[in-house]
Amino acid sequence: MLEVKHITKYYGNNRAVNDLSFTVKDGEIFGLLGENGAGKTTTFRIIMGLIDANSGEVLLDGEKIDYNLTDKIGFVTEERSLLTKLTVLEQLKFYGVLKGMDESLIENDIDKWLEKFSISSYKNRKIKELSKGNQQKIQFISAIINHPKLLILDEPFTGLDPINVKMMKDAIYDLQKEGCSIIFSSHQMEYIEDFCEKLVILVKGEAVVSGNLKDIKEDFGIKNIMLRGDDLPLDKIKKVKGVLSVSKVRGEIEVKIEDKVIAPKIFSLVKNSNITKYDVEEPTLNEIFIAKVGGIHE
Amino acid sequence: MNRKFLYLTKVSLRKKFKTKWFVITNIILAVAIILLLNINSIVSFFGGDFDSKTNIIVVDNGTDSYSLFEKNIESYASTINSDEDGVKLAVKKSNKTVDELKDDLQDDEILVELNSDSTEYLKAKVTSNEKIDTLTYQVLSQSLNSTKTTIGMAINNIDATTLNNISSPVTIDRVVLNEDNNVDENVGLIMSSVFPTVILPFFMLTMILIQMVGGEICEEKTTRSMEIIISNVSPKQHLMSKILASNIFVIVQGMLLVVYAVIGLLISTNMLSSGMSLPSEVTSIFDSLVASGFIEKLIYVIPLTLILIVLSFLAYSIVAGILASMTVNMEDFSQLQTPLVFLSLGGYYLAMMAGMFNGSVLIRILSYVPFLSSFVSPSLYMMGEIGLVDIVISIIILILFIYLILHFGIKVYKVGILNYSNEKVWSKFFKAFKNKDV
Repeated sequence: MLEVKHITKYYGNNRAVNDLSFTVKDGEIFGLLGENGAGKTTTFRIIMGLIDANSGEVLLDGEKIDYNLTDKIGFVTEERSLLTKLTVLEQLKFYGVLKGMDESLIENDIDKWLEKFSISSYKNRKIKELSKGNQQKIQFISAIINHPKLLILDEPFTGLDPINVKMMKDAIYDLQKEGCSIIFSSHQMEYIEDFCEKLVILVKGEAVVSGNLKDIKEDFGIKNIMLRGDDLPLDKIKKVKGVLSVSKVRGEIEVKIEDKVIAPKIFSLVKNSNITKYDVEEPTLNEIFIAKVGGIHE
Repeated sequence: MNRKFLYLTKVSLRKKFKTKWFVITNIILAVAIILLLNINSIVSFFGGDFDSKTNIIVVDNGTDSYSLFEKNIESYASTINSDEDGVKLAVKKSNKTVDELKDDLQDDEILVELNSDSTEYLKAKVTSNEKIDTLTYQVLSQSLNSTKTTIGMAINNIDATTLNNISSPVTIDRVVLNEDNNVDENVGLIMSSVFPTVILPFFMLTMILIQMVGGEICEEKTTRSMEIIISNVSPKQHLMSKILASNIFVIVQGMLLVVYAVIGLLISTNMLSSGMSLPSEVTSIFDSLVASGFIEKLIYVIPLTLILIVLSFLAYSIVAGILASMTVNMEDFSQLQTPLVFLSLGGYYLAMMAGMFNGSVLIRILSYVPFLSSFVSPSLYMMGEIGLVDIVISIIILILFIYLILHFGIKVYKVGILNYSNEKVWSKFFKAFKNKDV
């Protein structure tokens, strides 16, 4: 289990992270969101022990993270961090040994992972000769080759096609089953919604949203009612108190309401309009993110 | 020692040695050094008109000194001809007129007119179609001078012993009270020609070292693999592994250069035994070195110089590593390393010019300065400007300096390797130095 307790980090007079706390249990996938410069990289660096926090502490299974524990952590950075002049085998061996694996035994593991990701034929090719997608796979394998206890994934699906995304997702779920704690960061909210049960949204180093995704959506209040039907009384719907907006989205009418208690009122207005769809949906994470982060900027 | 540190060093070394460029470069170096050391034999092997004689045609306009001149020419020519590059001259007297001789003068002929002079005893006019080579002209000029001296002696009734006593150099009985400085002053002259050649490989290896440490750190930074690496090994171990690997590389490369030189000399010696000889310049410098006690001093100075060189390699590589950590790409590092390169170049020139500033306090102080000491100290010692104690002081200062740059530099390195911005680099550098958050 990873415990981040009240960490604060200053760069000179700039506060990068302010009193940030969260916990990632074994086998849990945790989302760390924030726009660029929100403090995600600093948080990752503190967790990895690359930089020291001014205050607070980070514990992995109750122990302070240092170079004795980093062997148990896998890290996929946002930008590719591969030595492009090395071959795939050399690169994976290099990172594997640095993570404490035995150089003479590591090749079997490498073969298994390369096969799993269908890139065995590239084993002796130089990294720079590979496509972006295949480089990303190598980067991912290098982070998980030691079966980490904690895995940090910063935009792990960059450059991957849907088939490879699925391949990587399956690998992540396998690790989750093994009990690995996973921190996931991405600007693509659908991935976060797919993966994470819990999340934190950082704005200027502070957690503005934190908790279970389900609770966050519930607490957000705003709901979307998706309608499909003939002669929908859109003007009447717009006049209902608590309706925030009415718009056409992909051939359907989306009614944004500020609370779920408004939903029955809308239903009573449309029930006689030959409706083929009436669905009260939770807000998307994207909406919550824009509302929270955008609201701070305003 | 930490397993990961050793692995990092091993990988770094493998990257340096296990490349086709290392093999190609060393083949080129070996061939070049061996060829240079055997250049005389190679030139002779490819042949040429080495046996052509230069004919000196003498017209004696009433001086009656032809036979004297002929003897002098033969004497000087035979002295020089003991070397491989000697001159081959044939002297003959002609009764033809100068104009006739000039009309028929060949390219391998020199016309010498000997004329009497009331004040200078002997004057000569030398005519040739082409430029006369230096050695031949030297023989000619010395022979004329000797001839003139003999004529002058005869006219003034000076016997040979008296003349010898007058013209021989003053015998100087040199006494230096400080035993450490008991050295031949001529060594300064020798140093200016020998030392640059001896320290040139050290200078070149220093350049390679700076490039190598910086290049590797820059590569790991620009590919962003640095974050992964230092999340598994400490920045200190990372830096030390780069330094150790690069130092091992340059030391091995230096030893290979010595091996190539030894092979070259062995081949040369083999050729000597089969009738060829070393260039006269080399034997002459070597003889002077032996006579001045230079070789004897090397026995003491070589171990200390080697220690200085290894420590200087360490200092250069630590600073190069720290500078590289502050840069974002190779171009930045190339600019940032310039002062280091100039420092090394400065040391090289100071060592070469040390002989010109005998007794200079500034040069002596500079011989203690880290980065410069490995170039300047041995040079000053060989010239008797400083003693062995001074070299030991330079070594102690260098060790202290290395400790300090490691102690403070590692803070900068730790911050630098995670810095990907070009903004306020020096401000970050100094803040890290003071252990502040940057």
